[in-house]
Amino acid sequence: MQLIKQIRQYGIFIAFIIICLLLSFLSSQFLSLSNWTIIITQVSINSLLAFGVTFVIITGGIDLSLGSLVALTGVMAALSAHPDDYPVIVPILIGLTAGLTLGAFNGFLITKSKIAPFIVTLGTMTIARGLALIISKGRPISNLSDSFNFIGGGEIFGIPLPIIILVVVFIICSILLKKTILGRYIYAVGGNEQAARASGININKVKIAAYTICGFLAGLAGLLLTSRVTTGQPNAGAGFELDAIAAAVIGGTSTNGGIGTISGTLIGALLIGVINNGLDLLNVSSYYQQVVMGTIIIGAVVLDSWNQRNNS
Amino acid sequence: MKLKLFTVFLIITFLTNCQNSKKAENSEGKIVIGVSMLGMQSEYIVNLADEMQKKADELGVELIIVDAEKSSLKQIEQIESFIAQKVDAIIMNPCEVEASSPAVKKALAAQIPIINVNSETTVMPTAFVGSNDVESARIAMQFIAEKLGGKGNIVMVNGLMGQAAQLQREQGANDILKEYPNLKIIATQTAEWDRAKSMDLVQNWIQTYGTKINAVFAQNDEMAMGATKALQEAGLKDKVIVIGIDAIADALQAVKKGELDATVFQDSKKQGAGAIETAIKIVKKQPFEKNLLVPFQLVTQKNINDFIK
Repeated sequence: MQLIKQIRQYGIFIAFIIICLLLSFLSSQFLSLSNWTIIITQVSINSLLAFGVTFVIITGGIDLSLGSLVALTGVMAALSAHPDDYPVIVPILIGLTAGLTLGAFNGFLITKSKIAPFIVTLGTMTIARGLALIISKGRPISNLSDSFNFIGGGEIFGIPLPIIILVVVFIICSILLKKTILGRYIYAVGGNEQAARASGININKVKIAAYTICGFLAGLAGLLLTSRVTTGQPNAGAGFELDAIAAAVIGGTSTNGGIGTISGTLIGALLIGVINNGLDLLNVSSYYQQVVMGTIIIGAVVLDSWNQRNNS
Repeated sequence: MKLKLFTVFLIITFLTNCQNSKKAENSEGKIVIGVSMLGMQSEYIVNLADEMQKKADELGVELIIVDAEKSSLKQIEQIESFIAQKVDAIIMNPCEVEASSPAVKKALAAQIPIINVNSETTVMPTAFVGSNDVESARIAMQFIAEKLGGKGNIVMVNGLMGQAAQLQREQGANDILKEYPNLKIIATQTAEWDRAKSMDLVQNWIQTYGTKINAVFAQNDEMAMGATKALQEAGLKDKVIVIGIDAIADALQAVKKGELDATVFQDSKKQGAGAIETAIKIVKKQPFEKNLLVPFQLVTQKNINDFIK
């Protein structure tokens, strides 16, 4: 079991290395430091969302509201991020709190109503998008302060801030999932809900925690996106939830719950980023990019179900 | 839970009824115009709807504005409900060239005048008010050609592939390129009208082409803003010309600051007011312009103050 799990982990990793090698042969710029800085900056937003949705998928759930949450939290933060409005900490706190609250709201609805997460988050996806449009009156909110724009566009010691945020969040999420009781409970709930309940785990609390983490990270992603494009856009983030789920699934998170790692998800997100970047460098039409991406997603899921059949 | 759902249902019914009764009261004397907009998620469309409302208020006309949310199916249903409500005229901002055409047919069959605003359908409506998107791209590409002295490398950021605006803006760009054999498109890709996607794309292009890029033609301002940001970060903005289309507020500010070289102004005010005026003329059986074309204008730092409110 452990061995197969590791093989799959390495399987994605090996695929990632092969694709990188291939691209480095095809494009001389691919392996340059500047290109990799760009790739990692570009995948930071999707990675944050993918980390969050990994928690949720491991509990056996799904979150379709991520993209809309990014837009809503971004717009809310942007409203208080004009120069001379408030200190930069205010929009940051607003964005993060909004994400956290909406995530908790998702978890609360799902556990209390017993409606499938797919349906509940489909609903909150639409609600959040509507709220983003209402708050912004359908228009992008621009003229944001320099200190706010620093979050997504700034550098510390030559390293873009989004990369630093990504690394920090990666470490925290990994520890949370691997080394804490909550993490163990999350795996237990997704692996076998009945058994987890029998052993005295408060299933609802664990699930709400997973959706809250997911919402919080969506808020963080919303801040990053808003400051990166220096405007709060009510229609931003459309389809982000699917990219995030794709990254988690490519990285070996099982949609049946109970299996998945943050490092796997990071590789999944990097793989998507590398392919987008590589195909752009080679000037391959985005039509083909979509076909390639879809093939990889299906390939990863096939690998996943093949593994599970071998396990049982 | 059931009770909650029921409450929601009641509220919705109540709201819908409110709208209906409001309409019934007004239908006694006032002209009522049904308006179906492509999608109130995009700034230009919101502006267009606002301008229509302003003109309608000014002329004492009742407007019922609905949002088709980019779905032509929804749009057809909305037109059907306008027909059922017996509005005096319909203004449609079509979602698609082909798929929104049945709506035009239905309105005409019910003998309700229908005016297309901003974009076209294959079936001819009673009247059309809008601008020719091909023209906007011609203006943009002409600007690039003149700035570069007819020689250089251009990258083009496309809108959502297959949409009328994208197809026409691509065509307009190609029209001008034919006149300048030394102007070359070295890369083209879609960023789906999106600022963040365009920024990523242009960053990636900078990796491949670096200083070979002389100009960026983005098919809308959102994407032009993204391209500008990518070029600024790479320290290349001074060497590369960037132009977008639409003249959204952000782009106008950027032109003023000299960050964006130019944009092309699409006149939401003239389009919106023109649509309302045309509708009223038709209802009152006065002569009207069947094809009211509102020209585009190039916006650069020279004339920017005419456009910033």
